[in-house]
Amino acid sequence: MKPLKKTPLNEVHHQLKARMIDFAGWELPVWYTSVLEEHKTVRSAAGIFDVSDMGRVWVTGKEAGVFLDRILTRPAQKLEVGSSQLSLMCLENGGILDDLWIFRVRTDRYLIVWNAANTEEKLDWLSRWSDSDSHVLIEDVSAGTAMVAVQGPVVPHVKTLQSVSHLPRFGYAETKIAGLSVSAARTGYTGEDGFEIVAEATKVLTLWESFIEQGVKPCGLGARDSLRLEAGMLLCGQDMDSGTDPFEADLGWLVDFDRGDFVGKKSLLEIKRQGVKRELIGFQMEGREIARPGYPIQKSGHEIGKVTSGGHAPTLGVNIGLGYVPVELSAIGTGIEIMIRNKPVPARIVNKRFYRRGV
Amino acid sequence: MNPKEYKYTKDHEWLCPEPGNKGRMGLANYAQTQLGDIVFLDLPQSGTRVAQFKKIGEVESVKAVSDLFSPASGKVLEINQSAVDEPKLVNEDPYGAGWLVRLELSDPSELDVLMNSDEYDKYEAEASA
Repeated sequence: MKPLKKTPLNEVHHQLKARMIDFAGWELPVWYTSVLEEHKTVRSAAGIFDVSDMGRVWVTGKEAGVFLDRILTRPAQKLEVGSSQLSLMCLENGGILDDLWIFRVRTDRYLIVWNAANTEEKLDWLSRWSDSDSHVLIEDVSAGTAMVAVQGPVVPHVKTLQSVSHLPRFGYAETKIAGLSVSAARTGYTGEDGFEIVAEATKVLTLWESFIEQGVKPCGLGARDSLRLEAGMLLCGQDMDSGTDPFEADLGWLVDFDRGDFVGKKSLLEIKRQGVKRELIGFQMEGREIARPGYPIQKSGHEIGKVTSGGHAPTLGVNIGLGYVPVELSAIGTGIEIMIRNKPVPARIVNKRFYRRGV
Repeated sequence: MNPKEYKYTKDHEWLCPEPGNKGRMGLANYAQTQLGDIVFLDLPQSGTRVAQFKKIGEVESVKAVSDLFSPASGKVLEINQSAVDEPKLVNEDPYGAGWLVRLELSDPSELDVLMNSDEYDKYEAEASA
């Protein structure tokens, strides 16, 4: 087994006596004090996550937008400077290689932030499609930089963030925070307001400490997972992968056909024309049992799919999950059973935006 | 911190002997810190026959599921309904309000194979290392 990779904040996590685990090859905190407490902190106040495991890639050059338009499902050239969007990178057969955030820094410069897993495969994919384009520079700066997410309703009032408090949702700026030059965006993966900030690896500790001094609480992967699940956000590699197309994952809104060719377009058009056979649904357990990834989903004693994410929803006080079922059985309100250690346990299909801010 | 008068299993359960060949059992502090926030307990019904070191239920935290094994053989007299209703009691007070099952012991000599608190303190220290 390869030794686990460490983020520039690794020592801080150990000093805080966080419970550390292996996440996609990275040693990261799953919790500092308690997943439930950290979850509540982000829903009610402000929490900070070390998300340095996520890959950061600069794409620069006159043809950068043209290149990204070719490999992403949403047009990058239409994205305004200082803005960002969620997008997908699909294979030629329409399978999802990754979901990623793309930030337009300048007309000829973009920042891509993608998931920790399969970095080599994704970088190979980029260079494969950029070969003919000598005008595009692709730089993986993941090792030299670090990234934190500061999330929660109180975050806009945190003093350190004054320089970015004017940013609209999904807005992006290169600015100074805590005296450091950073890239910051009003984005996140928790269902709350907040910012994601990229800084130099050697200086990120200053940034982290400035937030801690202002009462922002460290939060781990456990809360990161329960927060995103409550908000109905998918985790790539778990809720979708190269064997899943955007339409069955209910991410058809991320596919824009109304433009020139892009990788996967032909297959995706065909998939859309034929219609999907299965669909990602949200479900709520009727009782107190917890569904976990991989558990079978049944209807009247027959297996119809598998759970892809599941857990406790602290804000809602119930247990929830995501999974794939045949389209004809995917209507909201449908009763299903989750097989929990060989026992069918009743659940019900619900809207997968389980939690909405301000509700 | 691990009570002196309790007996312990290698799976980090405890048994507190009570007069009349009875005993309460629960999760040791080490187990609850490893599991993190406990959100669901699946405990046996009263009257269930249980055997030493055999599975009698499940403890589920936010991040993990763990089997619960009986520290001794016998019959379930009662379960801690307060802990079932509010599983965080197991995190907050694993040796007290967070007890899980009360047993009638069929063979009290079985307790001799369990660890006493000194032995368990060492065992726990090794597990934590």
